[in-house]
Amino acid sequence: MIPALCFDGVTFSYGAVPALEQLSFSIAPGERVALLGRNGAGKSTVVRLVAGIQQPRDGTVWVGDWDTRDCVPEQLAWRVGSLFQHADQQLFAPTVRDDVSFGPRALGVGVREVERRTDHALEDLDLTAHAAHHPYDLPPALRKLAALAGALALEPALLVLDEPTAGLDRALSARVIRALLERSAGGVALLVVTHDLTFAAEALDRGLVLDRGRLECDEPLAGLLGAGPRLEPLGLSPPPVAALSAALDLPDRPVRAADAARALARVARGKGAP
Amino acid sequence: MKSLTLEHASFWYPATEAPALRDVSLEVAQGEIVALVGALGAGASTLLLVAADLAPRVTGGRLTGAVARRDRSGIVLPTPWTQASGMAFTVWDEVAFGPANLGWPAHEIARQVDRALEQLELVPLASRDPATLSGGELQRVIIAAILAMDPGLLLFDEPATELDAAGAQMVWRLMRRLAGEGKAILLATSALDAVPDVADRVVWLEDGAVRAVGAPDLLADVAVCEAGLGTSVATVWRASGLPGPYPPTVAHAVRRWR
Repeated sequence: MIPALCFDGVTFSYGAVPALEQLSFSIAPGERVALLGRNGAGKSTVVRLVAGIQQPRDGTVWVGDWDTRDCVPEQLAWRVGSLFQHADQQLFAPTVRDDVSFGPRALGVGVREVERRTDHALEDLDLTAHAAHHPYDLPPALRKLAALAGALALEPALLVLDEPTAGLDRALSARVIRALLERSAGGVALLVVTHDLTFAAEALDRGLVLDRGRLECDEPLAGLLGAGPRLEPLGLSPPPVAALSAALDLPDRPVRAADAARALARVARGKGAP
Repeated sequence: MKSLTLEHASFWYPATEAPALRDVSLEVAQGEIVALVGALGAGASTLLLVAADLAPRVTGGRLTGAVARRDRSGIVLPTPWTQASGMAFTVWDEVAFGPANLGWPAHEIARQVDRALEQLELVPLASRDPATLSGGELQRVIIAAILAMDPGLLLFDEPATELDAAGAQMVWRLMRRLAGEGKAILLATSALDAVPDVADRVVWLEDGAVRAVGAPDLLADVAVCEAGLGTSVATVWRASGLPGPYPPTVAHAVRRWR
């Protein structure tokens, strides 16, 4: 099977400031991958390279069987939906609905299909009530959701998202998680840059960790987040649920809230509730 | 000494009928950190804009009730990249932009800028072009730029959303240190798990109104957990069916478990 995304020895720098060094990894359709690491590790650069707004200095970024060097960003939009770190910069239409529907309209899909995709994306992220609002009348976290809805409405094979839950409350984070799980169950590959490890634990299952532009780690997220002492040198700290599991020595060290609650209940029954 | 006092403050954005803040009364003392929590749209950001004298002065709209500030305020917006002057070619100059506009003498500007850069661990980036920074680095630069103006009242709206674990820890620790120096701090955050270690008091906002005020263990309260505003640990505890009171943090949970 052709990977949804493949970085093959990618090197990139901003002028004299190096950002990525010989980065190689690939993501299969339906995989849910977290891209983690310190500020300045190169995570957002990966997003820009996948979206085709920057080109590798060395190596190749493959989106499916397309070399991003041969594609303009508009073309890549057939396969990639992107959410950039500062989502304000990707909103421009007078209403949220116009913004979300811009992608599919630009792809030239039929009017009915544009409507269907737009409605679906808005509903999935609980934005229907805001559809007629100007994006800039929304708080920043909702603007980010509106931009995410625009990426979903492309119905691409690959979603590359930079901090999709920044500033969201728990209810809206849960909507994002549900929408992403639904897309991935349908075969969409996810690459998500995040510092929100609570969100990552719930929504994603493989962790890539960048450090100074190099890939330091590529493994199942549950094991990584549960491995307290290994996290700190990578610039990460265990999310509270993983820390709780470790501190109470819960069996299998769950990192997702529902799993931890079940384990806690089971152990509490065994020892007589505290 | 009170740094900020709101009495029965209500605020309407332009061309809206429902108020974004309803009859909010709140005090923040010098040396105190007050955290605002609530669902998105509950009014925390609006309250900060009112406290900063940006609403209605800049946003337009209408304010009723009374707002009294004893100290000059500085606000870090949830979109810090919109706060960069865009006129500086180095991080040092960016951080100096505010103090320079306050008309301070050069040696005082330099002293404040150097101090703020140290506080945010930005000294190694001082000569970098702000345009080449990552999102998290820029967020720290903007926090430094606000601190360099030495405001007595600090208003932070989601100051850690773009920061990595170490950066977030550094900012939370810095807030405690600033409070120790007598700054008054009002913080809006969705990082509920950080709140118990950072805040002295928690204000729960709902639909623009104050629903409850309490110590940080308010975030383990049953009603707060039901509203989705409990800490992760309290939320897991509640979901497990174990009886309350729920522990707000891992440390509390460990003590309960023994």
